Formats: sequence, C-alpha cells, structure tokens
Amino acid sequence: MSMISVSLEKRLGDFSLEAHWTSAANIVALVGPSGSGKTLTLQCIAGLTKPAAGRIVSGGRVLFDSAAHVDLRPQSRHIGYVFQGYALFPHMTVSQNVAYGLKTGSRERLSARAREIIDRLGLTALCGRYPNELSGGQQQRVALARALATDPDLLLLDEPLSALDAPLRRELRAELVQALRDCGKPAVFVTHDLAEAYQLADVVVLYENGRTTDATPKDELLWNPSSERVARLIGARNILTGTVAEIGQQSVVLEWRGQRLEAARSPSRPLNVQIGDALAFFVRPEYVRLIRKDRPLADLQRHVNCLQGDVVGDRDEGTTLTLFFRLAAPGTPSQGTYDLEIEVPKLVYERLGVARDRQWQVSIHPGTIQPLPGVGGRESEVDLFSDSRFPTPDSQ
Amino acid sequence: MVDLFPLSLSLRVASVATTLTVLTGVPIAWLLAKRRFPGRDLVSALVLTPLVLPPTVLGYYLLLLIARRGPIGGFLGAFGIELAFTWRAAVLAATVGSIALLIKTAQAGFESIDQRLEQAARTLGHSEWSVFWTVSVPLAWRSILAGTILAFCRALGDFGITLMVAGDIPGLTQTLPLAIYDHVQANELQQAHVLALLSVGLVIALMLAIGRYARLKY
Amino acid sequence: MTKLFAHVFAVVLFCQATQARLEPGTTKNYQARPLQTPALTVFAASDLVAALKELIPAFEGASRSTVTLVTGSTGTLAQQIQHGAPADVFFAANESFVDDLAKRDVVLPGTRTIYARGRIVIAALKSGPLQPRTLEDLTKPGVRRIAMANPAHAPYGLAAQQALEAAGLWGRLKPKLVYAENVQQALQFVQSGAAEAGIVARSIVEVPELSWVLVDSSRHAPLNQAAAVLKRTRQPALAMSFLRFVSGGQGRPVMKRLGFLLPGDF
Repeated sequence: MSMISVSLEKRLGDFSLEAHWTSAANIVALVGPSGSGKTLTLQCIAGLTKPAAGRIVSGGRVLFDSAAHVDLRPQSRHIGYVFQGYALFPHMTVSQNVAYGLKTGSRERLSARAREIIDRLGLTALCGRYPNELSGGQQQRVALARALATDPDLLLLDEPLSALDAPLRRELRAELVQALRDCGKPAVFVTHDLAEAYQLADVVVLYENGRTTDATPKDELLWNPSSERVARLIGARNILTGTVAEIGQQSVVLEWRGQRLEAARSPSRPLNVQIGDALAFFVRPEYVRLIRKDRPLADLQRHVNCLQGDVVGDRDEGTTLTLFFRLAAPGTPSQGTYDLEIEVPKLVYERLGVARDRQWQVSIHPGTIQPLPGVGGRESEVDLFSDSRFPTPDSQ
Repeated sequence: MVDLFPLSLSLRVASVATTLTVLTGVPIAWLLAKRRFPGRDLVSALVLTPLVLPPTVLGYYLLLLIARRGPIGGFLGAFGIELAFTWRAAVLAATVGSIALLIKTAQAGFESIDQRLEQAARTLGHSEWSVFWTVSVPLAWRSILAGTILAFCRALGDFGITLMVAGDIPGLTQTLPLAIYDHVQANELQQAHVLALLSVGLVIALMLAIGRYARLKY
Repeated sequence: MTKLFAHVFAVVLFCQATQARLEPGTTKNYQARPLQTPALTVFAASDLVAALKELIPAFEGASRSTVTLVTGSTGTLAQQIQHGAPADVFFAANESFVDDLAKRDVVLPGTRTIYARGRIVIAALKSGPLQPRTLEDLTKPGVRRIAMANPAHAPYGLAAQQALEAAGLWGRLKPKLVYAENVQQALQFVQSGAAEAGIVARSIVEVPELSWVLVDSSRHAPLNQAAAVLKRTRQPALAMSFLRFVSGGQGRPVMKRLGFLLPGDF
C-alpha cells in the first residue's frame, strides 16, 4: 500500500506550517512559492526536523506520531532523499557516494548492488569521478542513484530539476519520470513549477504560506480549481467576477460587464448560489476564439458568448502571443486597461492580421468558463483550503 | 653549555597537551557547531575564558583545583597521582591555554559544512558517530589541522599558567619558555638566545613538514 | 596521515634520546648523578640568586647531596608552597611571608630563621646620562623613568617606596615610576636602558655595566629576610643543615660580600 498521510504542525520563528494531506497515488507533487513550507514538509517526513505535533504515516508505517510519542530517527525511516543541490559528498567518488548507504552485506554484495544501480542510471563511465567533475544532469543522476541504492520505501525529491537550465530540464524531466516509474516506488517531490508537477506527478498538493490544499489529481487542479485562491495559485488568468442572472441544470448565466455569459456547471462540484449573488469565474486565455471575418455573418448564430471589442495591446511570448482585449461595451475594464487576455498561436495572429486589424469579435465556449465556488472577488477569512473530505487529526 | 632538558620537556608536554586538546576539543567544536542545546552560549563563552583571563590568574584558579588539598588534586591523590608541580600540571596548563584555539578554529570548519551533507548521510542510515567520522571530519580536516598547529604552538610557548601550576623547577617542570625567562633573569643572555632560536627553529620545521604533507594530500 | 605520525614520532624519539626521565630526582644539567644522593628543593627569592649560586655547589660537595634551586618572586613562591609545591626550604625576601606560611601550618616549627637583612641601592648605567647619588637626584629631568619592584607584592619594592616616602619624594616621583615583577626585572629595565635609574636590591646589583649607591637603611622598614624549613620536607635534617649553611659560618662571608646585613651586625 503506497499510501502516504501527512498531518503536521511546525513553527519556525514567525513562520508557521500546517500541512494536512494524504494520497494513495504513486507520485505526489508539492507545489508552491518559495518559503511556503514544502521543503520543511519533506524534512519532517524524513525525520530531519521534528514537527511540533502531528502524524506521518508512509506505506502503513507510522514514522511520527506526537500523541503516541513515536519519532523514528531518520536513519530508521528507509527513505531516500534527493536534496536540492543534490548534496553529493565532495570528498567521495561517484561509486563511493552511491555505495554510502549500503552497509549490510559482504564487500562483494555491496559493490554488486552499487554497480547495478550505477549501470541502471547510466553512470558506469563516471564511477571514479568526483562530484565537482560532473555536470548538473550527471550530479542529479548520482543523487538519485544514491537515494535508490538503499531500496527505500519512499523517495523524497526537493526541486530535483531546478538547478538545471531550461533545455536540460525539459530533457531530464522525461528521464526522471521514466526513472520514477521504473523503480516503482512512491515518491513525493517539491517544485515551484506547476508545469513540471503536471508532467511528473499524479496528484498535486498546493502550498501557500504554510497552508496546504488536499492532494488533488492534477487534471482536476488545473481544469477545475476548487476556489478563486487556488485558481490564482495555479496561475490562472482572467479571474473575473460576475453576478448570477439565471441558474439552470446544466449551466448558469452570469452577468459581466453588461454582457450575458453562459457557463457550464461542473457535475462534480456543487454551486450554492442564488440569483443576484456575486460569483468568481475564470476564462482560459487559449480558449477565447477570435471570430474570422471572412466567414458569413450567419455563422454568428453558432457562436455562444460573443463579445465585441478591441485589441489594445499584445505581448510576444515566442511561439504564442497574448492579446489584451477590451470590450467595446462602456464601463471600466475588469483587469485595468483590458478585460480579457487571449492567447493565440503566432500562425493565427499572422494569418488574421491582428497586428493591423484591432477590432474583433470573440467567442467563448460555455465549458471553458469556470465558475469558482466560494465568495468571489474578495479575500475570505474562511480557510479556503479546508476540505471536509479529509479528516482532521483530532477526529481520527 | 646550554641545558637542553627544557626543550625536550616542552616538546613532550606540548605533544601530550595537543593530543589531549584534539581528543577533547574536536568533539566540543562539533557540538557547538551542530547542536543547539540549553547552555550552548554559556559553553561557548567558557571556552573563550582562558584566552581572556591573565595567565597567572588562570594558573591560580587551576592551582586551587589541583593542589593536594584541592578537589581534583585530593581525588587524584587518593590514587597516588600527583598533579600539581609535576610535568602533568605543565600538560594541564598547556592544554587549558591552547584548547580554545583549536575549538574555535575547528568549530568554524564544521560550521562551514553544508548541513545537507550531514542530513543526507543520516537519511542513508549512518549513525551520528559515523556521520561525524565519514562526513564532518573529512570535510573539516583543514580547519582541524590549522587549529591543531595553533594549539601546539601555544602549548609550546605557555608561560604564566605553567609557572603557577607546575612551578619553575629545573630538571622537573622547567619548560622552554620558563628556562628562557630564567636565563634572562639570571643575565645568561647567550643561553637565552640559544633556547629562543631553537624554539623558533622547531616551529618553522614543524610548519614546513605539515605544509608539505598538506600539499601531498591534495 | 602516516607520514605526519612518522614525523611526530621521530621528534618525540629525539627528545627521549636527548634526555632523562620526568620523575623527581632527575639530574640538572647533563651530569649524571646516582639516584641515591639525597635531594633538596630550595625555593628562594630572586634577590638571592647570586648568593645561592655561589653557595649551593659548596654545600652539595660538603653534604654529597643535590640541590635544585627554584627562584622567583617571594609572593608567587609563597603561594605555590601554600598549595603544596615540593619545596624543602624557603628563603623569602621578607619575613612576613614566612610568618604567613607559619600561620598556615606549613612551616616546620622552630626552623624560622632571619638569615639577613637586605639593602636597597640606586642603580644606573655607567654609560648612562646621569649618575644619581641620592634619592633627590632622581627628581632631575634627565631621569625619565625609575624602575623598581612592585611594592604591592615585592618586599624590595615596598622598601623602595618607604624610602621615597621618607624622603618626601614619593608623590613627585610617582609619575616616573615603572613597576617590575621583581627586583631582577627592575634591574633589567635599568640594564637595558629602558629606565635611566632604578631602586633594586644590593645583592643583585653587582653587574659590570651598572654603578650604584646604597640607600640609607634607616629610611625604610628593615628588610628582614627570613627562611624556614617546610613541614612537607622528607629531608628535615638536610634541609635544616642547608639553612644553617647559608645563615651560618660558610654562608655569611658570601652574603656579606654581596651587601646583605647579617644577624649580629644589626
């Protein structure tokens, strides 16, 4: 059973961490800005830091339980840890580093196991080198090999790819996914890059300022964030507020900037609103369609949620462009000087001649307007991260 | 013409003292560097006191402890071990006077080790003792060596503390610095010069030998 | 690592080869003596260095014993004896220290002896700018620094202070005074030219480069120098005989020559 359950409290000076999440998935990503408590969580799981209170269980083993006075030493937790910066022993060669955790067994068996791991990770040619003679990618592999050599029950990785430059990072991401799946061990890794988390993990726990969400399957997180705050955390753009005008079975109509927008309702998430309530929602920039002008007007019937406006600015992102779209309707734009961000591939931009032609009609498919439950628009004092599905430590 | 006994006595006293210093000082340095414990600041300050107190004062307090009727002296006396006014007291004086130099230097060395390295070693199953030997010491050896050299030189040159607790007994506890002083006092300046040159020469030889060794290792 | 140990080991071996053991009863200088000779350890104030260095070889020859001389400032030596220093006989520069030890029951009763009375002198370099003849001469501008033993713990220093006070010069000369650890050090200050003049003990001032003048002994409290045999001695008879040697027939001429006033003369 590869279930990992973390519930802990830890205070460091002004900062206080309260992490509560549990997951049966194989790979869990802890995502959040620096200083939000992710590394501290890993240290608590590994036993390198002691939480003030809580309970940590991994694979059926209780690693820490403040109420029952259980606190296994890091040496006894059978956890492989890949540190940020890799923490390779500078005074030992690659093979000595990898073999460092292998104490049991005869000398012969020691080297065999170490050699096996070294071969598996493609480090054979580098056996006799010292860490300062290795490239970033090679160091990362040595760190991984060292952590895996002891056949741990759980693998912890702290920003495994952040020390590398972008192209290498992309390349090694694939390698790391493969290595993790190959070894078949449950893993928890920390990253501040949501895209990386998406690629490597099955579930994601969001960290912000010492608080966590529950472990959410990645799709749900990205496509169906549970609240406005979570939406902000995952970097959603076009987070807007409208007023509920109509409530239907499949959809809800919102009034926004004098326009009526139809948004599809998520079947899994209840929407407790009444007509007249404010409701936050977000629109994915890549799903706002520019309507081609060379098509006959009659096709306009097919488009739902049509908006008329001007492109007041654009930003070249390399392969795509972000357009800043302001509605023709009177009133103050929702996001400063514009209402919507629209993302178009460069090809479309050039084909449609957006550089010269700034007046456009856009349409948004109802399924891509995501209502965000909770009170929209203003910061709520209620902890938006609490989820009634996860039992609190007291109630266990 | 010149009595060389003080030279050999001082070498032996300094060697024994430095050995004691390293054996007790390195673990203390590691503790101060790596562990937070109640009274840590107090211990840190205590370590520095021998450097701050005038040697005669320090010697006096030590004498109170190790004299026959003092707490430690009395205890050891029961086993027939005489401490005050023997070469052992000279070792004690040299150790007390020099241990702070080793501790502070080694402590800085340990502190400069990335603590993630030691954490990694723990997650890989090594006990605290093993982490100390296989990670901390190898990575801090330069600082430890520097501290040891400092301590040895200081032990070799101790005067005030030794004078108080071991006395200046020729042929018994008259160490090199005391002998030089006595020659000067008795206006035997030539002998004083010879001994002084010998001690400087000794330190230079030691530094050369260690320098060569340190370069060989890397 | 092994190379370093080898070096250290070699050094230690060298020491062993060049020297005898560390246990008591060891030889001083290089002359090997049989261990059976009785040995004495004499703690003496530094103003007796010259006198004792002359007398000790004679005593050793006469008694077939070995005498180890430990000199220092009376105060420090007294402290150490109090805490168990291995002295058999103590020659102090001032009787108060011996009396103090007697009060602490460290002295063998009946052995307290006044062996001499010390004298102080004004000393200066023969090649120096000034040859002071009187205490008043010390006020001359040419004398910028005057060395003397520290009156707080050296008897000769205290005597110097008393003499200056008696001459009414203490206040005026105080800014020029340089305190030394003991009379020997005060002498060195004068010898090296660091001080243009000094008030030191008569018994140590006979040094070729110095000229000196006796200070009237009525101007200070008598420097009664007392000696005693210490209780912890294992050689009480030998110790006593040494004491008598120094203060008696053989010792008196030497002491007199070195400027001490002797019992019977005062």
